[in-house]
Amino acid sequence: MKRITIDPITRLEGHGKIEIFLNDAGEVENSYFQVPELRGFEKFAEGRLAEDMPQITQRICGVCPEAHHTASTKALDDLFHVDPPSPAKKLRQILYNAFYITDHVTHFYILGGPDFIMGPEAPVAERNILGVIAKVGLELGGAVINTRIKNHHIIHMIGGRGIHPVFGLPGGVSKGLNEEEVKEIQQIAKDSIEFAKLSLKVFDDIVLKNKEYVDMITSEAYTHRTYYMGLVDENNKVNFYDGKVRVVDPDGKEYAKYAPREYLDHIAEHVEPWTYIKFPYLKNVGWKGFVDGKDSGVFRVAPLARLNAADGMATPLAQEAYEKMYSTLGGKPVHHTLAMHWARLIEIMQAAEALSELSQDPEITAPDIRTIPTAIPDEGVGIVEAPRGTLIHHYFTDEKGVIKKANLIVATLNNAAAVNMSIKKAAMALIKPGKEITEGLLNRIEMAWRPYDLCLACASHNLPGSSPLPIEVYDSTGKLIKRFPED
Amino acid sequence: MKTLVLGLGNPILSDDSVGIRVARAVESRLDQPEVKVQETSMAGLTLLDLVVGYDRVILIDAILTTEGKPGQIYRLESEAFDTTRHATTSHDINFATALELGQRLGLALPRQIIIFAIEVVNVDSFGEECTPAVERAIPVVADMVMAELATSS
Repeated sequence: MKRITIDPITRLEGHGKIEIFLNDAGEVENSYFQVPELRGFEKFAEGRLAEDMPQITQRICGVCPEAHHTASTKALDDLFHVDPPSPAKKLRQILYNAFYITDHVTHFYILGGPDFIMGPEAPVAERNILGVIAKVGLELGGAVINTRIKNHHIIHMIGGRGIHPVFGLPGGVSKGLNEEEVKEIQQIAKDSIEFAKLSLKVFDDIVLKNKEYVDMITSEAYTHRTYYMGLVDENNKVNFYDGKVRVVDPDGKEYAKYAPREYLDHIAEHVEPWTYIKFPYLKNVGWKGFVDGKDSGVFRVAPLARLNAADGMATPLAQEAYEKMYSTLGGKPVHHTLAMHWARLIEIMQAAEALSELSQDPEITAPDIRTIPTAIPDEGVGIVEAPRGTLIHHYFTDEKGVIKKANLIVATLNNAAAVNMSIKKAAMALIKPGKEITEGLLNRIEMAWRPYDLCLACASHNLPGSSPLPIEVYDSTGKLIKRFPED
Repeated sequence: MKTLVLGLGNPILSDDSVGIRVARAVESRLDQPEVKVQETSMAGLTLLDLVVGYDRVILIDAILTTEGKPGQIYRLESEAFDTTRHATTSHDINFATALELGQRLGLALPRQIIIFAIEVVNVDSFGEECTPAVERAIPVVADMVMAELATSS
C-alpha cells in the first residue's frame, strides 16, 4: 500500500474533515479525524485583565458561551482566593442548568435523534428535524423551540441583557433575581421537566422498542472500552457545575479523583504529526496509541462518561432514568458510544429537576451575591462540565491580576482521541472490499462521531451550509473515490 | 417595514468579526426607528428565534468559498441555501432548514431575507482585527446595507 503523508498545513481550510484510507484489498487501513485548531489564544489572552476573561472566553465558541463563562468565573474565584456566598453559587447554577437544557435539547433533536427517529438509511433531506416533526408531529417541533426559548429567557434574565453581559465575577455574580423572575423560572423548570419526560419517552418508543436500533447501539462497531471522566459532588453524584473530577477505569472502578488545581498531575497531551490539535490522555497510564483498554490512557468525557464516572444522578427522576439505562444495557460502565444520546436525555432531566429545586430555594433572592476579593491574585483553575465534556480554564497573573499565561483544555478535545478511534472502528466495520460505499453507509460512519456532540467552533456558523465534517475515502493509490456530501 | 440587521460572527476571531463590525457601522449611521440592529455568534435554531416577527432581515456574515477573493462581497437571498439540508455545524442546523422549520411551525417569518457575505481569509486565529482586504470591505458593505434599507418592497 502506498503510504500517504498528510501535511497538516495543507489541511487547514476552516473546516474539519475525516479522511479514510483503503489498502490494496479495499479494506480500511487508517482514518484521520482532522479538526482545525483555533490558534493564538495564549497570546491573545496575555496582558488582559483576568476579570475580563469570562466575557472574552465566552466568545471563543458560539455554541457554549455559558460554559466558558462559568469555567472562567470559577477560575477567577480560585485566582483571587475567594469563595462566593451560597446565593451566588445557586444563581450561577440556575443559569448553568438552563443552559444545559437548551444545549442538550438542541443536540438530541437536531443531530442525534434524527439518525434513529428517521433511521440511518433515510435520505439526507429527511434525516433532520424536519423529518422528525413530519414523523412524530408538529407539536414536538414546537415543544423543542419553546423549551429553548424559555430557557434562553432564563439565561438572559440572570445574565443580563446587552452585547457583553457581565454576570460572573470573582467571588460571586453581578445580578440577583426578584420574586417575579423566580416565579417565571419555577414555571419554566416545571415545563422543562415535562419536556424531559417526553424526550425520554420518544427515545423509548422509537429507539429502544426497535430491535435493529438496540442491536446497533450494542454492536461492537460502536463500542470502546475506555476510561471515563466527569465532575462529581461529595456524594459522587453527577454535577455539571462543581465538585471534584473523578475518573473510572474500563471496569468502572474509581481510578482517580482530583481537585481542579491537580489536573496537570493527571492529564497530559499527545501530539500527532497529521493534526494541530493535541490529544489529552491520562498521564499516569500513558499514551499507548489510539487503542482501548486499561493500559491505554485514552479517556472519554461528556454525557455517557459522566454517568459512568459517577455513582448516580443528583435528582430523583434522572436517577430513575439512569437506572433504567444501565439495567437495559447490562450494567456499569456502558461502553457503547451510541448510548451517549440516551445519557444526554437523562442529563436534560437532571438539569430540569435541579433548575426546579434551585428555583424553589428561598436563598436565591438573598441580596448577598458577592464576596469581594482581598487577596493578591496569582494562579487559578476553574473546571466545569460543559455539555460536551470536562472544560478547564487555567490562568496565571501578576499581582495586579493581569494575565501572564492562560491555558484552556476545551471539552471536545478531551474526546478527540476517542472520536478518532470511533470513526476508524465504524469505518472498518462498514467499508468492505466490493461493497458499494453508499450515502447510508457513510451516514453510519457519521453516527460514530455525532454522539460526542462535537463543538467545532470555527464551523459554528458558515454560509452556505455543508457538512462540518465531510468524509473523504481514498483508495490505496491515494485517489479520492468518494466524498460525502458530494458538494 | 420592521427590519432586523443582524451581524453574525465572532468578535475575537480575526476576520470572523466582519459581520459584527458591519452591523456596528450600520448602527452608528442609522436613524430609522423601524430598523433594529443586533449581533450574534450563534447559528441555526437561535437564528430562527432572532428573526421571528420581522418583515425583513438583512444578515451579514463571513464566507469562505474555494475561489473567492478576500474582501469580495456577495449579496444573496435565502433561496441560495436550498442546496443542502445538511447540518452546517456539528451542533446545529443550517439556516435553510431552520427557516423551513419555522415555516412548518407557523412562526411569523420575515418575507424577505437578504444576506451580505464577505469573503474572508483568517477565521482560525484569535485577534480583534480583520485582515486588510476584509477591513476595506466593511464600509463598502455598510453602504450596501444602508442602500438596501432605503428600498422597501
